[in-house]
Amino acid sequence: MNHSDALAASQAPSPGADLVLTNGRIYTVNDAQPWAEAVAIKAGRFIAVGSTTDIAPYINDRTQVIDLDGRFVMPGIYDMHTHPDLALAPEYAGYLDVGIEDPTPEQVKQAMLDYAANAPADAEGWVYGAYFVRYTFKQAGIVPSRAWLDSFLPDRPAAILDRSWGCMLVNSKALELAGITADTPDPRHGYIERDSITGEPTGILVDGAYALIHAAMPPTPAHALQRAYGEAVHFQSGRGVVGTKFVHVCEHRLNALKAIDQRGKLTVRVEAAISWQDDIFPVKRRWELLAGERHFYRSSRLNANAVKFHFDGTHESRSSYLSTAWPGDTRWRGHLNLTPEHITDMVVDMDRKGIRVIAHCTGDGASDIFLDAVAEARRRNGPNGVQHQCAHCTTLLDKNLSRFAELNVIAEFSPVGWYPSSFSYARAVFGEDRMQRAYNFKGVLEAGGTAVMGTDWPVSSFDPWIGFEAMVTRENPWGEEEGRFYGEPIALEQAMRVMTINGAKAMDIDDRAGSIEVDKYADLIVLDRNLFEIEPKGNIHNTKVEMTLMEGQWVWDAHGELDGTEHQAVWQRDLPCF
Amino acid sequence: MSPIPVTIVSGFLGSGKTTLLNRILNTSADMRIAVMVNDFGAVNIDSELIVSQTETMISLTNGCICCTVESDLIEQLTQLIHAPDIRPEYLIIEASGVSNPAKIVNTLRYPQFTGKLAIDSTITVVDASQFADLEGEPAQLAMDQLDIADIVLLNKADIATDAQISAFKQRWSYPGLRLYSTHYCDVPLSLILGTGHFNPDHFDEHHCAAEHDHRCSAHCHSHDHQQMFDTWYWQSQRPLSLSALRQALAELPSTIYRAKGFCQLVELPERSAIVHVVGSRHDIQPGDLWKGEAPVSRLVFIGIRGGIDQDALQHTLDGCIAAQISPIDTDTTI
Repeated sequence: MNHSDALAASQAPSPGADLVLTNGRIYTVNDAQPWAEAVAIKAGRFIAVGSTTDIAPYINDRTQVIDLDGRFVMPGIYDMHTHPDLALAPEYAGYLDVGIEDPTPEQVKQAMLDYAANAPADAEGWVYGAYFVRYTFKQAGIVPSRAWLDSFLPDRPAAILDRSWGCMLVNSKALELAGITADTPDPRHGYIERDSITGEPTGILVDGAYALIHAAMPPTPAHALQRAYGEAVHFQSGRGVVGTKFVHVCEHRLNALKAIDQRGKLTVRVEAAISWQDDIFPVKRRWELLAGERHFYRSSRLNANAVKFHFDGTHESRSSYLSTAWPGDTRWRGHLNLTPEHITDMVVDMDRKGIRVIAHCTGDGASDIFLDAVAEARRRNGPNGVQHQCAHCTTLLDKNLSRFAELNVIAEFSPVGWYPSSFSYARAVFGEDRMQRAYNFKGVLEAGGTAVMGTDWPVSSFDPWIGFEAMVTRENPWGEEEGRFYGEPIALEQAMRVMTINGAKAMDIDDRAGSIEVDKYADLIVLDRNLFEIEPKGNIHNTKVEMTLMEGQWVWDAHGELDGTEHQAVWQRDLPCF
Repeated sequence: MSPIPVTIVSGFLGSGKTTLLNRILNTSADMRIAVMVNDFGAVNIDSELIVSQTETMISLTNGCICCTVESDLIEQLTQLIHAPDIRPEYLIIEASGVSNPAKIVNTLRYPQFTGKLAIDSTITVVDASQFADLEGEPAQLAMDQLDIADIVLLNKADIATDAQISAFKQRWSYPGLRLYSTHYCDVPLSLILGTGHFNPDHFDEHHCAAEHDHRCSAHCHSHDHQQMFDTWYWQSQRPLSLSALRQALAELPSTIYRAKGFCQLVELPERSAIVHVVGSRHDIQPGDLWKGEAPVSRLVFIGIRGGIDQDALQHTLDGCIAAQISPIDTDTTI
């Protein structure tokens, strides 16, 4: 215990501080005063930053005083791109789990009937879950088809995923509700299996065709979304995150976030980006939200003043849109999901409304077109518009590095995979030439741009400290593989800015947050190690965050130092395990 | 341009897939075959056959090519079917030992490949000793491999014990399983590749004249492994019922490995229906319009020698003839 609630000071200015942290090694990320020993906080803001002696006068009999005992403190950190709902909510939704390793058709049938008899009310009659095994059907001499499902679930919509084929088996009622008939065109990246002669759907939907059923199903239940986001912000507070962007939301997700906010459990500032496309989940109230309904969710902790879209594809499917052909090809440059004209008009329109556009751009051709669209928005709407955000930035054209600063566009990267591993090298498919300039974090920063990091969970780990280390070392944090990954590492001081003040800038609050300065929000984290006194490799990713303070409120207390006091943290001791 | 037939070869590492691929690549097959493998380490091509080699493609003197599957199968297939200089006449895809072959089957059925690629057969090579005591993920992979299999090659049959073989059948068998025992994957290529040797277009040139109606049968020897197979022909001028034909094809005896041909169906009066049977899988697709031709059904069956019970098969197929409805009547009732 390093605190005292009643350490009075004789010459306290009036009024005294609510909270004083003293005797620390405080790295402020404020160039004018990089280091301090103590801070005084009142009404959620820093009112003094300086030496232990400087701060002593702010202590009165109502001040909570924490003796840091030499511990290292820095501003809270920012995760600028993540998806906890996609990572967690499906498993919390209460869908059917057959729960048998290799279920026979009879066992699948029984599990579906049992579920149907006890289905949760929010399932709206749907029997949806996993899984069946096609091989056990083959062994039983049964063709998995809608006729089989109809034989025991004729009236309620039913859909069950298979274990490994990438297909879903649905009954006639589900097809009817989803509007799938012989005339329905196949979606991209998938197909509706059809009778070869009649063309009628058989009930098997493959890969991308799932989306047709998901669009017809009730949305992910509110309880599952609330649990997912609740656990996510708990984890983030425990890892020192004070600002984050949940990139892709709909009205149901916003409702869940608002419910958590109103319970006082939204312990991270959240910018939520409304999905521009329906490719992940349907957004039925998109236009109402964009027109102004989003403001009903607004609080000091929550805003939905952003829109997210998928401009190009991914490196796995060679659909990232490149400026020239993919390696081994003379023509294929990847795929744009929306036309450049669509992007331009949309960016100009959103910019005018004050809505941030977050554009998924993995290929250097996609980001090039996005930057052109922002340039057009600046030309039409004037130079003082919204900061837009280029997401992932896996490869960038050298000529575009300086445009991030010129056009006031945030370059957001996912550094969690920037270390040698079979996983990351398998993804290095852009060809040696492009990989040499991949993940050009340093290039954007040196050209004066704002670069930030996102964990992009569940694509990569939710723990921002892995990416924090990787951007400084580009080496494997666990020593599993030798050598350095593509791209230039950045200095620790620079990485500190990326993780803190740059994040605040990307949320338009750098005048109020992101560094430890008088009048800014009292956000800080107490660590178990001084990042400037350790070998970065292998020692940043496993940093323990002992305490997290958000606007003067303790939101995380790893050791329960404040237990039983009036200052007890919102979350203590244990982190959710994902 | 007709679709390129595709054969998928799956099986665990060490099952004998490599031996099979080498056998295919190193045999002059009278056609340009492309083999897609995970890496060249999977094949061992006679160096005298190699004309040229790049990082991703080996060209052989017999016109065949061998290429590695890069990151994306969809993109690579698209390139292969659109490149005039390398467009193969036949495509073989190796599903590497650890990858899920079902995903490859799914990909080939994507709409963008309709009419361009057509799965001829899916062959799973099994070493019975590897299938003993499988659990967890390997067992799941084995299920996927057998699920997609049209024909299972029980390889190393010479060294597997009777107990291993019977244990394999006990645990893994399914109705209609076509299990072909072999060693060193010395299997007649015409069994696993739809090479056109049994093309029903040559029906009349063979032993069967049209006037025989549905009463003809004959033996025919395949080019390789002479006299290992029997071939039997069936035809009828009367339209068939789709559901009856499907059931008949699904229940063919397991000694019949392939059937091919076209039919007139009550349900599809204006055009022929193309029938394709490989092992335990059958497929019936709409074919060409009859136009002026008299509608007719002609099917060729290939079974292991002595494996075709002509009378029984005749009876089954005659049973598919729709009840006393002439094609002209069906035109007015459908």
